[in-house]
Amino acid sequence: MAILEEPIKGIVEVKNYIDGEWVGSKGEIQDVVNPVNGKVIAKVPSSTKEEIDAAVEAGKAAFPDWRRTPPVARARCLFRLKELLEANFEELSRVQTQEHGKTIDESRGETRRGIENVEVACGIPTLMQGYNSEDIASGIDEYLIPTPLGVFGIIGPFNFPFMIPLWSAPYAVATGNCIVIKPSSEVPLSQMKIAELVDEAGFPPGVWNVVNGGRTVVNGMLDHPDIEGITFVGSTPTAKNVIYPRCGATGKRVIAQGGASNFMVIMPDCNLRATIPALMTSFFGNAGQRCLAGQNAIVVGDDDHFYKDFINGVVDTARRMIIGNGLDEEVQMGPVRDAEKKKKILSYISSGTKEGARIILDGRSDFRIKGDYPDTCFLGPTIMEYVKPEMKIVTEEIFGPTMGIIRVKTLDEAIRICDDNPFHNADAIFTSSGRTAREFKYRIKSGNVGINVGIVAPMAFFPFSGMRDSFFGILHTQGKEAIRFFTESKVVIERWP
Amino acid sequence: MRLNTSASVISFAKQLEADSAAFYEKMAERYPKAAELFLDFSKGNKKYTTMIERAYYGVITDAIEGCFAFGVETDKYTFEREPAKGPGYADVLNQAIDMEQKLISFYTDAAEQSEAFMADVPRTFLIVARKRKDRKDKLGTLLRET
Repeated sequence: MAILEEPIKGIVEVKNYIDGEWVGSKGEIQDVVNPVNGKVIAKVPSSTKEEIDAAVEAGKAAFPDWRRTPPVARARCLFRLKELLEANFEELSRVQTQEHGKTIDESRGETRRGIENVEVACGIPTLMQGYNSEDIASGIDEYLIPTPLGVFGIIGPFNFPFMIPLWSAPYAVATGNCIVIKPSSEVPLSQMKIAELVDEAGFPPGVWNVVNGGRTVVNGMLDHPDIEGITFVGSTPTAKNVIYPRCGATGKRVIAQGGASNFMVIMPDCNLRATIPALMTSFFGNAGQRCLAGQNAIVVGDDDHFYKDFINGVVDTARRMIIGNGLDEEVQMGPVRDAEKKKKILSYISSGTKEGARIILDGRSDFRIKGDYPDTCFLGPTIMEYVKPEMKIVTEEIFGPTMGIIRVKTLDEAIRICDDNPFHNADAIFTSSGRTAREFKYRIKSGNVGINVGIVAPMAFFPFSGMRDSFFGILHTQGKEAIRFFTESKVVIERWP
Repeated sequence: MRLNTSASVISFAKQLEADSAAFYEKMAERYPKAAELFLDFSKGNKKYTTMIERAYYGVITDAIEGCFAFGVETDKYTFEREPAKGPGYADVLNQAIDMEQKLISFYTDAAEQSEAFMADVPRTFLIVARKRKDRKDKLGTLLRET
């Protein structure tokens, strides 16, 4: 199998997209590096406060006309965008691999997931309908009309540069709002490509803006009086201590999605042949940089024979994984995003061993990179046994290709461990018993629950849920909840004497 | 070579379809009396490629096991891209039947491996396998009539 062609040639100068124009920034410029080979593929600005203000101003100016644009006409813009995204599907996917490092299967999956959100938002003429009651009192009628609010800020993370802003953006504009997207400055190219297609799709200037940068842009959004709300996906400390309270302080709506430390509960009656590939995807897919990734497996029961089969299965499969350039179609795991993230993951592995975990597959050294690439950002899968719920590798988010294994006697113990963890993003159970599955589903306090599914990624027409330290807010991104988030319920009571 | 990822298996399937299409185009040139049938086979291969691509690009998401769904040993399914030179019509038909059998095995095996993981992809593979079984039967009839 050949290595697919890189879509980004040379070094791209990333600009901001404000009021329908590509504009340079006066801010400092930083490199965007392909984690596979360390090559600089783009230069991205850290935009200034004036630049974020200009984008908000453009959105504010565009809002009255866009709001008056009939939903069917707004939907047509989204239909055109969907067609353009499909036409550019492969290029968009390869850009993600090049800027992030994920495998081409993962990038294509991300592209599909992103497009699905645009597809759902195309249904806005019906999704946005209100409701009414005739004769709430004699001769008096009452209506609920969902109305857009103005300008929203969308702050994206590094791990899904294409898809995650699309959990919010299509719904925001479909409902008649205008948006300012701030992509992660580590991976700005996917949102730049989307904005090019937005431009081609004929969205009016100012409806969809992209401002690159870091803290200055985020602060500019949080403090701006004309931003009505923020959607954020990133770490829990930022979601909990920065985004959520500051949105509260400035009266903004907020969806703040944080980190996770997810559990995969393995029952002895599970089908191991189906479970092991699901676990490989869950723990090591996207090099573990996913808020839905499994971080620890809880193996239930005292059947030593099953436990041994499980351990042998996961270790053998993980050891055989092909690691390398995500554009090589044979590769099953790419690098982590950068050397700093690798260092952090390594420190968690060390912490695990210091606290008593035993490494049975050492991703620090026991792996081989396919192809001639520096190991700067590469890690192999690490599997650790004898993990205890109080260890840092359980209570904190690692965000890397590691699997901790906790052994317990009963499902009750497993559920207790899940519940005692501060995060509650996505937990799953693997079993062939419907009764056990129901018990787990009913009792587990997790936003996204999997039954024999390792990555519990809700479809675009379901909310992307999350609880406790994984989510701050009330409504979630995607689907009907996003429609509610991006609209205010205007209630009209009408009498004609 | 062993292929584990969906991307590599889909590319391999596309390559097999392209090679098999080229094979039938050569057959059509060499045996004009059955050219229409062979060209029809070649055209069918392009349709199968589209079906496979649509299934893959339609379902590939992070919720399915895209990088761990397969264990395809490619050596089992490769075949000569050109009809053998020299031997008679019957020998070349037998070569085509062998090729179709390899393709049926490939699609059946790949569907079985990915059944729990890849949603529409294994279903599409089985449809293509069934179509190829029909084609193999047609080639068998042609061989008996020779």
